[in-house]
Amino acid sequence: MYAAEDNQLVARVVSAQDTQAFGELVRRHQSQVRNFLRKLSGDITLADDLSQDCFMHAWDKIQTFSGRGSFIGWLLKVAYTTFLQSKRKSKRYAEILEEVGHVTDIEDRRYSVQADEVSDLEKLLAVLTDEERAIMVMSYACGLSHREISDATSLPVGTVKSVIFRGKQKIRTSFDIKDHQHG
Amino acid sequence: MISKIINMADKMKDAEDRLLESMFAAPPIADDGFSASVVGKVRRRLWLRRLALPVAMLIGGAIAIKPLTAFVTLLASLSALLPQELFGVIAEFIPQAQTVVLGALLLAVCLLGMRTLED
Repeated sequence: MYAAEDNQLVARVVSAQDTQAFGELVRRHQSQVRNFLRKLSGDITLADDLSQDCFMHAWDKIQTFSGRGSFIGWLLKVAYTTFLQSKRKSKRYAEILEEVGHVTDIEDRRYSVQADEVSDLEKLLAVLTDEERAIMVMSYACGLSHREISDATSLPVGTVKSVIFRGKQKIRTSFDIKDHQHG
Repeated sequence: MISKIINMADKMKDAEDRLLESMFAAPPIADDGFSASVVGKVRRRLWLRRLALPVAMLIGGAIAIKPLTAFVTLLASLSALLPQELFGVIAEFIPQAQTVVLGALLLAVCLLGMRTLED
């Protein structure tokens, strides 16, 4: 029912550039997008900035949403692309700073904090690559199906499954997750 | 049918999956003006886009007015160099030939200007 309403709101945005309808879409999905980017980046402020950028990109590209999959799946694809673009930019920025002799920690300030300052989940995510982290978060935190993750990451379903398998293996070898207390 | 089976297989989770889900679970983030801020940005961008073309045309027009008048004056002086008999012959067939030629040139310049602004 929610998905059908999403599609109606998208139709209003596409046909009449309805900002109210877009605002409703943002209200509905901001929490999931922000949570996704927080887990991906490990930085609350950066994640919220990226979330704003993500919704602005979504506004610009909303006509490319075909309506076949879920809107949140499409939105997380935009969020993931925004994250990768930002990462590329900050990497280039760090390289420029290094070239001119500045010492910088921009690139790897995420997931490099002291072990006792971070939560279990952050420790868990730190052993994963960006791609593995994104796919694991989409699967376990956002509840996306393998098909939806495949659409969002532009990877074949088989690759998505093997990335999840590999991610779980990494987590298993680094932590005894069965010891984790719920909540 | 096959897709249903795939979806079911997708949803089959073991204890480890459920444990991971509980670890990845996070409380919903309060909006706290986030969506209002996004919508505000979107509205500003819409206004900027709507204003961009008229403002660009205005600025372009202001910049182009001086060279354009100089160009028209040059054309007028060039037409004085042409033999007057030629105008006489043309004027026999088309009485406002000079004005038509000048108008056509101006139209071509305007069209080129518009094309450049659009690009």
